[in-house]
Amino acid sequence: MESGNIPVLSVNENTIPRAYEKAIREVWEKGVSIRTEYDRPEDPPSRDATVIITVQKPFGQPRFHRSFADGLGGLAEYVMEVVHGAHDYWVKPLEEILKGSKSKDTRWTYTYHERLFEYRIEDKVVNQIGYIIDKLSSTGYTRRAQAITWNPKLDPPTEDPPCLQRIWGRLCEDGEGGYIFNMNTHWRSRDLFKAWFENVIALTTLMRKIAEAISEKTGKQVKLGRYLDISDSLHIYGSYFREIEGDPEKGIKSFFEKLESRTFEERTWDSDFIKPFFINDGVGKGLKLMLEREKDMPDKVRKAIEEELRLMEEEDYEV
Amino acid sequence: MKIFEEIADEVVKGNSSSVEELTKKALSQNISAEEILNNGLVGGMGIVSEKFKNNEIFIPEVLISAKSMNTGLEILKPLLAEAKVKPLGKVVIGTVKGDLHDIGKNIVAMLLKGAGFEVIDLGADVPKEKFLEYVKKERADIVGMSALLTTTMVSMKETIQTLKDAGLRDNVKIIIGGAPVTESYAVQIDADGYASDAASAVDMSKKLLNNKEN
Repeated sequence: MESGNIPVLSVNENTIPRAYEKAIREVWEKGVSIRTEYDRPEDPPSRDATVIITVQKPFGQPRFHRSFADGLGGLAEYVMEVVHGAHDYWVKPLEEILKGSKSKDTRWTYTYHERLFEYRIEDKVVNQIGYIIDKLSSTGYTRRAQAITWNPKLDPPTEDPPCLQRIWGRLCEDGEGGYIFNMNTHWRSRDLFKAWFENVIALTTLMRKIAEAISEKTGKQVKLGRYLDISDSLHIYGSYFREIEGDPEKGIKSFFEKLESRTFEERTWDSDFIKPFFINDGVGKGLKLMLEREKDMPDKVRKAIEEELRLMEEEDYEV
Repeated sequence: MKIFEEIADEVVKGNSSSVEELTKKALSQNISAEEILNNGLVGGMGIVSEKFKNNEIFIPEVLISAKSMNTGLEILKPLLAEAKVKPLGKVVIGTVKGDLHDIGKNIVAMLLKGAGFEVIDLGADVPKEKFLEYVKKERADIVGMSALLTTTMVSMKETIQTLKDAGLRDNVKIIIGGAPVTESYAVQIDADGYASDAASAVDMSKKLLNNKEN
């Protein structure tokens, strides 16, 4: 911190939960103290670093950490938001977005799905994920298969511009006549403690969808390679410090004590355990309940989620 | 009784099928629904709430336990109604107008239910008129409001004003929470309490209810 340099940290693990725990430890121990726009006056500055995280096996088991700020049904709904655009209809009209922070409309200014699949530029709407699939299917070694989210006209004036900035992918031959799909995601800013894990579950599900679509187009097997996740600012907000540090006097455990009090298996779940909760978590969330609850969801999106539900209920489909 | 401990234990583990089986077993032993609720299901959720407060368990685990409690509660509900068993208090809860975030509110609702409150969850993006309607209709003891955005937390103030205008403000206790909300904001908008997390929302609700009755 004395030098004024933001640390650059690197994490390389086999599974998502292992990478998640390691990243929290790294940022907590080596991050700098720095303020953010979201801090309340009484909050201490956030712990922050530039972090490069590699997950070697994005669907390696156990895939789910138990530490995240939602229920399992809520996580399933978020995955549908990113992969199928379940909440694109919550995005406010363009004229309201252009008003920036002066807009009284509290609907969302973007979703990742909307930016990735329906990016608005001039008078065009571009499906960038469709482009990635087409480009990699025709030229697997291309270095141009990428999708961006940032909109220089819409985002600077808003209070909550997108954190994810770019997705990039490339195919490598697997030596057996098929391909391995490698994907990188680049993030401007990231809440490590309460968003990273859910983001990565959704983005790796999208990664698998892209690989499946390339496989369908090329007629070749496309396996998942490593998932790389780069954040310019990966942070733990000051408002979370109480939860991280605990309070020994009041008998409140620190986050790390909580982790250490259990085996790795006791702080994670595998996909088989999660699947029924993704369908219906029994406390109001999950794909079945989402379809019942969200009456205004467009038909096209509804059909895509119904298909996800069918796969989960009828097929050997890993969530 | 051993069976209460067993039910509580399975609620803590989040094992819905065992909770269902044990609840039915307890009823077959002529134990009253009220006892099963208070000593078994609420007892179990009390342990979950305490563990959550002490940072021993994770949020999804709390919700899995809540699911198992709900499984038992569904079996007991008709019997509780028949026996006219009263809940600890009635809470109308929702995320305020313009705000679609409901995670925090859902956890509070589950813990309140687990503590023996009847919870009427209005969902997210709830207009002030709907809070008023349900306070009237349900004769609520407590109103819980949540907001995750600085732009929507102003709806909390408007909802309180609506209750004042309808002459119902003094009939209910109002508790607020959410990421941008602070204790001083609660004072500023004339709420009765602020909770910084889900577990303290339950403690605060119990405290406010006691004050209301005294």
